[in-house]
Amino acid sequence: MAIVVDDSRAVRMILSRTLRELGYQVGEAGNGREALEAIGQFAPVDLVMADWNMPEMDGLELLKRIRESPAYRAIPVIMVTTENETDQMSAALAAGANEYVMKPFTKEILIDKLRLAGLPS
Amino acid sequence: MTEQDIIREFLIESTENLNRLDQEIVQLEQRPNDKELLASVFRTFHTIKGTCGFLGFGILERVTHHAENILSRLRSGDLRLSPPLVALILQSLDAARKMLAAIESTGTEGTDEFADLVQRLESAATAAVTEAAAAPPDSSPVEAEKASAAADTAIRVDVGLLDKLMNLVGELVLARNQVLQFTTQKEDGALNATSQRLNLITTELQENVMKTRMQPIGVVWNKLPRLVRDVSHACGKQVRLELDGSGTELDKTIIQAIRDPLTHLVRNCCDHGIETPEERARIGKTPQGVVSLRAYHEGGQVNIEISDDGAGIDAERVKQKAIEKGLCTPEQAGRLSEREALNLIFVPGFSLAQKVTNVSGRGVGMDVVKSNIEKIGGLVDVVSRVAEGTTVKLKIPLTLAIIPGLVITSSTERFVIPQVSLLELIRLDGASAGKIEHVHGTPVYRRRGTLLPVAYLNGILGLQPPAASEAVNIVVLQAEDRQFGLVVDGINDTQEIVVKPLGKQLKGLTIYAGATIMGDGRVALILDALGIGQRSGVLAEHRDEERAESQKKAHSTAEKQRLLLFRAGSFERLAVPLSLVSRLEEFPQSVIERAGGSPVVQYRGGILALLSLAKVLEPDAPDDAMDRDPAQVIVFQDGERSLGLVVDQINDIVEDAVTVRRQSGRHGLLGSAVVGKHVADFLDLHTVLGTAGGDWFAGAAGGARRGTVLLAEPAAFARGLLHSELQMAGYQVIEAAGAAEAISRLEQGGIDVVIVAEDLPRAGSQEVLDAVRRRPGSERIPLLALASGPVQGRPAGSEPFDDCQSKFDREAMLRSLERLAAALEHENPVVAAARSEK
Repeated sequence: MAIVVDDSRAVRMILSRTLRELGYQVGEAGNGREALEAIGQFAPVDLVMADWNMPEMDGLELLKRIRESPAYRAIPVIMVTTENETDQMSAALAAGANEYVMKPFTKEILIDKLRLAGLPS
Repeated sequence: MTEQDIIREFLIESTENLNRLDQEIVQLEQRPNDKELLASVFRTFHTIKGTCGFLGFGILERVTHHAENILSRLRSGDLRLSPPLVALILQSLDAARKMLAAIESTGTEGTDEFADLVQRLESAATAAVTEAAAAPPDSSPVEAEKASAAADTAIRVDVGLLDKLMNLVGELVLARNQVLQFTTQKEDGALNATSQRLNLITTELQENVMKTRMQPIGVVWNKLPRLVRDVSHACGKQVRLELDGSGTELDKTIIQAIRDPLTHLVRNCCDHGIETPEERARIGKTPQGVVSLRAYHEGGQVNIEISDDGAGIDAERVKQKAIEKGLCTPEQAGRLSEREALNLIFVPGFSLAQKVTNVSGRGVGMDVVKSNIEKIGGLVDVVSRVAEGTTVKLKIPLTLAIIPGLVITSSTERFVIPQVSLLELIRLDGASAGKIEHVHGTPVYRRRGTLLPVAYLNGILGLQPPAASEAVNIVVLQAEDRQFGLVVDGINDTQEIVVKPLGKQLKGLTIYAGATIMGDGRVALILDALGIGQRSGVLAEHRDEERAESQKKAHSTAEKQRLLLFRAGSFERLAVPLSLVSRLEEFPQSVIERAGGSPVVQYRGGILALLSLAKVLEPDAPDDAMDRDPAQVIVFQDGERSLGLVVDQINDIVEDAVTVRRQSGRHGLLGSAVVGKHVADFLDLHTVLGTAGGDWFAGAAGGARRGTVLLAEPAAFARGLLHSELQMAGYQVIEAAGAAEAISRLEQGGIDVVIVAEDLPRAGSQEVLDAVRRRPGSERIPLLALASGPVQGRPAGSEPFDDCQSKFDREAMLRSLERLAAALEHENPVVAAARSEK
């Protein structure tokens, strides 16, 4: 089970489709707060792919909450960032993200990133 | 779910967003400091942009990206919201709407690229900085409470403005120097006091302006965690990065200059230094390696150390590699200290990587690191312990704009030498004034037991030497690990000088690093130690040539060879020693006949087989050498056998010392060497003639007319040449690349004479000598040693060998061989008889 977190429905659709093609079941959330709810609802969750910049609760805050939660801290998180935001990448990794991937990305890149994070691809 | 579904969703979503944006931007105009609102507007553009990337709507992506940039600057406070900006953002909205409509109806964004809009967005975003500097944004009371104290006291300033300030301070420093010089000539108390105050204030101002240009080294370092992570992932390693002293400040230009070298060094640590987790576990290290960076101030400079706890660098392996790559000779390598050997990794063309990875190992990089650091007046050093790790130390000046320098005079001109290239000053007067000696025509000074090459600045610059000088001043300079003395007419004093770059017209003059204005308002040129060294010939002009130079000296190929240069196929410059060539001929097509399918000509009462060289070197390439009329033929002759090698063109006969550049893997070539000023490929006659027909050297194999020679020579190139020479002279040749191989060949017997190169690695020639002398039955085999240097002047009989000849004096070598063989026959009829039975 993977949770795709992005404030754009179109982006969620694209990511969900790709993850489904790779054999994941996918749940969606529009921001960090919704994502936390979804994780509770769908647990156990194998992967969270979270956008950085979202209303209400952004991806970094979501990541921190997941890492602080005794129940969810082990869930692999891949952060989605925008091109050339190297600071975001470093911050994401420092905050405990398993991987990051830059928008826009191809299916092949996502597969590589999943592999790097040690996830089925 | 199809692509169409996603695009429809994108259109709906984006239209909703744009409608909301309309309202939000209008609200923003009323409440320009509402951070929440600003964040929301920013995010909306951001979202549209991000989605466009996936769907391939490039124009829409570009427009929203630039709009987002402006909003990002509004958020960070770099930019103030103004009516023109609001208009610009709204225009972007309209453009986005137009494109969305086009996508809905046609599936594409349309042809309008909105180039004008994008350009205006761009310039609005870049104009941001200066505008902010001129008018800092007024913040609302609420915001002021939220903002941190640091943000309140900091403003952003355009770097261009700082550069200008620095320049002006430089001018001020010069004016100050002039005023000071002026006041010392006046006896005016008030003027003196004022100029002293001016002096102090200027110094303080200079220091502070310099500080504004300082950036913490962390600016460069913060890119490293990601780099380390990516590289170590790519190499399957575990690496922890430790940063210490990231607050250490350096001038902005220096920060920029060390960015790439640092990146490369850290990359190298991960790629080459740190071992794989398995390897580390095997030798009892933690699986995770550590790369640590440390920066600190020391003596007006910044030291940066890049260390890893990896495998370390094996100095012996470095030497071996350097020898293999032809970067130094075995003798030179033998003389190197461990530290000097390690520093070989900075020589161009050197790479220790076992295999070329996509991360590093192409042999470019470390030399670039070194030259980049040296370009800004820094120094590089490396220390390493095998199995414990490696540390690269960089010493970097704090700034480049104002440097301490030594003012010297030559003839009537003044020059400045940067303090960083200065090692010491030597003054020779009275009796010691004549202490400059000449070695091989080069002036040198004997300094503490070592010879220091010396150059005369007057001579280099073409200035008149002073009429009579009672003393000689030598300024000892350092340039790229080499030291040399520069004789100048006078040494004045040291000064803080402001470096001004040279104008375009003078940029090409490598002996000058720039110019400065002196206290009296006159311009003085700043000397570049490296350029001076190169110009005077004290340092070789180019590293390659330097290498060639040192090899020339080592091999002392002063015994020049006559070489035939010619062209065949795609090889423009081929060479073969003229001594091996019998004749050069031109045969008209009419005389070329065919015998047994091969071209032949009747020649001097016999039949000469013809072979196209291009066919041997490039069997698959088309070749028309054979069809040329007349055909150009090089005739080789060995006793009754002869062969005509057909080439495209015979170019020249030159006499030159041969310096090996590299060895060749190609069939039929020994390798390339510098002949004259160009590289030529040397023909491997042994192979080429061998392909002509199985029987070319059959005589030698069947029964040597002159005997069998064991040739022990480490360099394949020299071995090949010697092989050909000996073969043409009628000897059968057995090659050995090292002492061990030579000794094992010796055991098999059948050797009449041993030729051994003196530079066989690790006292190899001595080993061979001992083996020959000790083995029963072989103790009488004559040994001819080949020296890489000249042999004149070596006292006869001082050699443990039967004779010693220079490697490049073919005639002397063959004469000596003949003599040795004759002496052997005369002295030992058993051996002679045994040989004639073969």
